[in-house]
Amino acid sequence: MEFSREISVAVPPEKVWAFLWDLDRMARCIPGCREAREIEPHKRYEALVSERVGPFKVQFPLDIDIVEAEAPSRLRAVATGRDNSVRSSVRVRLDLDIVGDAGRTSLSIHADVSVLGKLATLGHGVIKRKSDEIMTQFAESLRQALEDSRADAAAL
Amino acid sequence: MLRPFEIHQPEDVRGASALLGQYGEDATFYAGGTELLLVMKEGLVRYRHLIDLKTIPGLNTISYDAEGWVRIGGTATHGELMHHEIVRRHVPILTNVERKVANVRVRNVGTIGGNLCFAEPHSDPATLFLVFDAEVELTSQHATRAVPMREFFVGPFETVRQPDEVLTRIRLRPWGDRTHGAYMKFGIHERPTLGVALAVTLGGAHTTIEDIRIAVGCVGPKPQRAEAAEAVLRGLPLADAERRLDEAATAAAEGLDAISDLHGSAEYKTEMVKVFTRRAFRDAVVRFQ
Repeated sequence: MEFSREISVAVPPEKVWAFLWDLDRMARCIPGCREAREIEPHKRYEALVSERVGPFKVQFPLDIDIVEAEAPSRLRAVATGRDNSVRSSVRVRLDLDIVGDAGRTSLSIHADVSVLGKLATLGHGVIKRKSDEIMTQFAESLRQALEDSRADAAAL
Repeated sequence: MLRPFEIHQPEDVRGASALLGQYGEDATFYAGGTELLLVMKEGLVRYRHLIDLKTIPGLNTISYDAEGWVRIGGTATHGELMHHEIVRRHVPILTNVERKVANVRVRNVGTIGGNLCFAEPHSDPATLFLVFDAEVELTSQHATRAVPMREFFVGPFETVRQPDEVLTRIRLRPWGDRTHGAYMKFGIHERPTLGVALAVTLGGAHTTIEDIRIAVGCVGPKPQRAEAAEAVLRGLPLADAERRLDEAATAAAEGLDAISDLHGSAEYKTEMVKVFTRRAFRDAVVRFQ
């Protein structure tokens, strides 16, 4: 399942790029992210995310590998994880493309999501809808956090 | 594999709600179990405490009150609805729909409250209730509230019910003499591919469509009213309705957010909604003759 979102912020690309590596602030933008830690800077990370659809709860410990990082324009990451209690796994390939223009930045977010295992019992439609919702929240939180970072910088 | 759990049998609804409050996420309400036990066996949900609602006296009562409402208790089974004299007399379309819900094992133990609260998108009764002035009553240990059926469903497996609220009753207004309806479903699996419920009220000497309600279920994330289709037909002389029926059927199929799944592709379901909306309308109108 593929999802795309586009956000535009009045922050220069270099600042956006720096924000993407700020683990705590990025983690706060990821819906359901409860923990995040760095294993190897700019290469490997771990996170714990949980989500629910009605009575169904999942918790995925994720291994996140940065597969491509070209400052300040392109970031590619792959996150994989498995929830053993519901015998299901998830794989997300995330592509972020950054284009700057006169102090503004457009950020294209593209995600390719696969969910395998028992969770599929709920039906493709349910999982697609939830993933879509998560993407919308992620894009909005990211936009908001970037706008806030600009306000913080202005205050300084 | 079904993991061990403890069953609690409270004496009343407030007691059930209090138990749920006490055990929190470790507990859930249990009625027929036809959906719950399946997902527990699959390991998709884990509860150590099941709070049994079936043994609460009076929670499955079906009655017809002095104000002309049919009241259905949350733990009434599909089988009880199907055989109940009050349902047959005042809401015969519900008798017919219940006759064809799932299979005999589900009908014997599955409850109407459980069906609505689980909010599996392929529910027949949920779609039918949308073309009635129906509401659900939700009761917790602290309060009771009524929610119109149209506002009850949020999405697949999600409703506005809070975890400690019990669906105690469904209340619906039987149709009068000037209203007839139809419920049509289609599918090749046990759960339907689509369901269309329609109620038409004629005015004058059965010459004008005074009101029409159309609901479509199973196709999108939740059952919903097809308001655009209703608007096409409402107020039309009956003689003109046939001419505008294609337009109404197309409107019914739009904006459904159809989902492709085991029951059919989104395109196929959308096309079938048009076919079955036309059929349901003709089937309802012919009952006036």
